[in-house]
Amino acid sequence: MNITRRLLGKVALGLAGATMLMPGAFAADKPAPFDKPGVKIALVRYLSTGDFFQAYLSGVESQSKALGIDLRVLDSRQDAALQSDMVDQAIALGVQGIIIQHGLTESMKDAAQRAVDAGIKVVAFDVNVENPKIPQVEQSDKDLARLALEQAVKDDGESWNAGYVYVAGIAPLDRRNETWVDVKKKYAGIKEVAMFGTLDNPIANSVANQARSVLQAHPDINVMFAPYDEFAKGVKIAVDEAGLNKKIKIYSADISTSDIAAMRETDSAWAATAATNPAVVGQVSVRALAQLLAGEDPGHSVIVPPTLITQKDLIDKDIKNMEDLSAKLPQFAHADVAMPAWMPNPNAK
Amino acid sequence: MTLRDYAIRYGFIVLLFGLIAYFAIAADGFVSPQSAVFIFQSVAITGVLALGVTATLVVGGFDLSIGSVATSAMMAAAYVMVVLEQNVVVAVVVCLLIGAIVGLINGWLIVYMRVPDLLATLGMMFLLVGLQRIPTEGRSIATGMTMPDGSVANGKFADAFLALGRHRFDFFIPNLIPVSVVVLIVLAVLIWFFLEYTRFGRMMYAVGSNERAAELAGAPVKAYKIWAYVISGVFASIGGILLAARLGRGDIASGNNLLLDAVAAALIGYAVLGAAKPNAFGTAVGALFVGILLQGLTMMNAPYYTQDFVKGVVLVVALVFTFALSGRGRR
Repeated sequence: MNITRRLLGKVALGLAGATMLMPGAFAADKPAPFDKPGVKIALVRYLSTGDFFQAYLSGVESQSKALGIDLRVLDSRQDAALQSDMVDQAIALGVQGIIIQHGLTESMKDAAQRAVDAGIKVVAFDVNVENPKIPQVEQSDKDLARLALEQAVKDDGESWNAGYVYVAGIAPLDRRNETWVDVKKKYAGIKEVAMFGTLDNPIANSVANQARSVLQAHPDINVMFAPYDEFAKGVKIAVDEAGLNKKIKIYSADISTSDIAAMRETDSAWAATAATNPAVVGQVSVRALAQLLAGEDPGHSVIVPPTLITQKDLIDKDIKNMEDLSAKLPQFAHADVAMPAWMPNPNAK
Repeated sequence: MTLRDYAIRYGFIVLLFGLIAYFAIAADGFVSPQSAVFIFQSVAITGVLALGVTATLVVGGFDLSIGSVATSAMMAAAYVMVVLEQNVVVAVVVCLLIGAIVGLINGWLIVYMRVPDLLATLGMMFLLVGLQRIPTEGRSIATGMTMPDGSVANGKFADAFLALGRHRFDFFIPNLIPVSVVVLIVLAVLIWFFLEYTRFGRMMYAVGSNERAAELAGAPVKAYKIWAYVISGVFASIGGILLAARLGRGDIASGNNLLLDAVAAALIGYAVLGAAKPNAFGTAVGALFVGILLQGLTMMNAPYYTQDFVKGVVLVVALVFTFALSGRGRR
């Protein structure tokens, strides 16, 4: 009797805890180990500074909360060796799952393998760890570039002179570049008259200085393709300073609240951007890991589709910040990726 | 004067004109009033920072924190206007205060706590990079942003503030000269006059060349040193104001590149007119030199790494001019 009473008490306590942690979700609906709260996972980060990474983290946190997960965040701050050590630290912490967020293939490949060997489920976001057991979560950079460029072709026809902002050696920019190369091949009328770019920070300021020189040297440019929002901001500053905002259109990738403000300005040159919601990417990372933990297969490649956001959308729908964007462009707020029936949706209100 | 003396004195200026001539031929559209203004505008922010760091170099010190002071001032300006919804005067005053306070603390650490200048300002640099992110939990500041507590910041950059980065004065051609360039020129003339022709400035040089002698001669060495850091901090915060006005938002950035470019300009300045010492005129020319190089190279589609390389070469050559050729490095 004693034992039963104790057991009952424990069950009651557990249930109470579960309902407190997961408002609106019933623990019983979910497969093990998510039938009980307190599954421990770790997020091992390589990059963390900036709006994108902040939003990514908030997505990881919201999905973890919805699943009742105990999340540990280990941040290596761009130290590749430390990030690899942090995987071992996470193993020692006794976590059940690990999300590797960015990093270098060389340093993370072995660390990821060690985690898999220790029986831990692993997913990787935007870093290829070359491991068939590890699903790769990706925002599709090629699709991002494709959406933006398709819009440019729609707005400006099939022949224009482009200024292109690119820094080689940065994986997402390299993938976006592949699409740009394809598009140039496909449309003979699209000419790249200048290529420039820098990652000197503040990036927008440095790119603005470069873009000013480029606009001076190439007055025939009528489209700027800047597939990273910091680049686009810099180009926009230069275009405004040169008074060419009605003559030049800027197409970019990524979005943030300040980007929205810049696109909404009267006669803004910034015509469209394609973006994946970093918070959604964070949520998808956790969901893919949760599927693995529950014994399901999210697939080796988990791709979060991007959304095209035009100046017209922002003005017509009166979108002023990222929250408005999520509220008024539902495809931006939620991606139906890694969403089995039992998965709680942190965006559902 | 021997040929060697001429080379030392005018070599760098000749190099500068040679560079302009080369770009004028090689890059279309390089020679135009607009192009000249672009160059001034692109170096305005680092130039202001460089003038500040020159003041600390003059007293034999160094200020590694200027880049992060500038970005902190930028964040503060954005925070004051966007989150606290204050006006432009408050924003500018807050920025200048931040610069002055950081300068005072740097000076205090170096003079009274006897922390070596590089280490004290290095510590300050890290401190500020972290501090500027605390109020917003690492987010950039823009109108309509969501604060950590879920509320939405509704203030916006005052038009008068944005004008600091965007307004242009008529000068022969309408809308030619941006405010930032005027600020750069005014500050350059001010600090040049201050260092070369006022008693205070000359005493700072005295402190820099031989601290002990200056002290024995009765100069309040500690005060001069602290003032140098305050000047540096205030100049850096002015740079930050210009940066914020140009970007129109509070951008998360460490400012390391600003620091490096500013220091490069100040060091190149040693070589100008064979001064072989920190001087405001040289710093301004050094900043322009870097600006002309980058403008020309960008117009010729040179990628960023070539530009870094060329910048490095110029710096090394300038240092050789200063230390080897002039023979004044071996004091």
